Amino acid sequence: MVKDQTAGSEDRRLLERIRRGDTDGAAELFERYSPALLRFADRLLSDRAMAEEVTQEVFVKVITRAHQYDGRAEVSSWLFAIAANACRDRRRRDRRATVVPLEAVPEPSQKGDGAEAKLLSRERRAAVRQALNDLSEEQREALVLARYHGLPYSEIADVLGISVGAVKTRIFRAVETLKARFSEGDTAWNAAN
Amino acid sequence: MECRELIAFAIDDRVGALRDAAGPERRELAEHLEACAACRAELEKIEETWSRLGDDPDLPVSPDFRKRTLALIDDEMLRMRLKQFAPRSRKRFVRPLAEAAAVILAALGGWWAAHRLPAPAAQAASATASSSYPAALEKAGALSNVSYRPADRDGRIGVSFDVTSHKTIVGRPDDPQMASLVAYLVSRGAQTSGEKSRAIELVSSHYGTGETPASPDIVRALTATLKKDQNPGVRKKAADALAGFRMTPEIRAAFLDALSTDPNPGVRLVAVDALAASAKEVPDAKTIESLREKAFDPTENGYVRAKAASALKGIEF
Repeated sequence: MVKDQTAGSEDRRLLERIRRGDTDGAAELFERYSPALLRFADRLLSDRAMAEEVTQEVFVKVITRAHQYDGRAEVSSWLFAIAANACRDRRRRDRRATVVPLEAVPEPSQKGDGAEAKLLSRERRAAVRQALNDLSEEQREALVLARYHGLPYSEIADVLGISVGAVKTRIFRAVETLKARFSEGDTAWNAAN
Repeated sequence: MECRELIAFAIDDRVGALRDAAGPERRELAEHLEACAACRAELEKIEETWSRLGDDPDLPVSPDFRKRTLALIDDEMLRMRLKQFAPRSRKRFVRPLAEAAAVILAALGGWWAAHRLPAPAAQAASATASSSYPAALEKAGALSNVSYRPADRDGRIGVSFDVTSHKTIVGRPDDPQMASLVAYLVSRGAQTSGEKSRAIELVSSHYGTGETPASPDIVRALTATLKKDQNPGVRKKAADALAGFRMTPEIRAAFLDALSTDPNPGVRLVAVDALAASAKEVPDAKTIESLREKAFDPTENGYVRAKAASALKGIEF
């Protein structure tokens, strides 16, 4: 998600409409950001139901706290920051979320796939989820924002409330861990076959 | 460029930080890679790791989640608009609390004086405390939930209670603030079904007539109640109230939804009546189709089916 100035100012206008009590403005913001926020929460929590709850929580907080947005960061960063905090709270409350059984990973529909291809894609997906889950919470947040949401370092820093240097370190360490993890996995996979 | 810098550089490249990087940095990276086989292998692994993360495709937003969340947003926005009329102002709590504190201080002061001062003065202090007590009590509101603590080692007893006060707000039904307060009371989740029903009865008796048309907030509060309230009696009351209003697309949509999804036949009967009455005046294709479906639905309750069939007879196509 590469932000441009027009998108940023449109977001601010939507927030202003929400402040004025305009329900359509809130619905528009939902249409704009719910897919990204749901994906973000899903990757941090590996639990679709909890990810949906977090996404709803974000929009309820946006409505009740719209007047608290100070305009220093992008609206998108503010939304991701609320989502990241909500995910941390959930994880603290329910540590079970760190366990990712294969069947718990929701699978997006893939039309026309054969059974074997589906199984393979499911296994790959579960392997990625497990690898993401094994990262520290801080590393996972930074990596997910960079890899899946295309946020630049500066915006990730805004979302997580840390310096750009700290963002770089977290992503660097996450990639190093995943690199080793995937190499090990491939060795095991090749040995087993 | 050192080998150890390469990973960081390669990651920057993936994240896009190098998108606008100066030519020399990119050239330096290319030159280094050309000369260093180990770094080429390392870079390949990083690229593979980055691309492998793509094996976890994006989760789509389901229509059900979208619908639920938009309804939640709708509710939340309504609550925010009505919040200023919610009886939750700080003043409301601060004053009784201050008064209750005054009562307690007066009582404690009296007790302290009675125990510390010589006998005649103690009597006077007690009298002062007891004479100020009823007055302060009257101001603070009613005492409820009173409990008593037996004497402790120092002989002190305890009396605990809640201080509650009752407010009355008076206004004409068409006063926007009064309408908002009533809408808030209909939509408020934290109340018993009886309280909610009484709020809806008030709406039924004072709004929706030609004299005082219901405000959009009241209509919204009622349609939300019809859709979501857990109690079938409350939903039926909301349906009855809406049936008394002039039909609007919002109300029609709420009745059509209730007719097809509400589990209670009593609520569905009210929906049939209201939709039929409106279709008699202005035949609406969706209403007629819904009534027809109900009339021929073998799984539907017999009364609802018969009502839908007889309603269809009265509509001129």
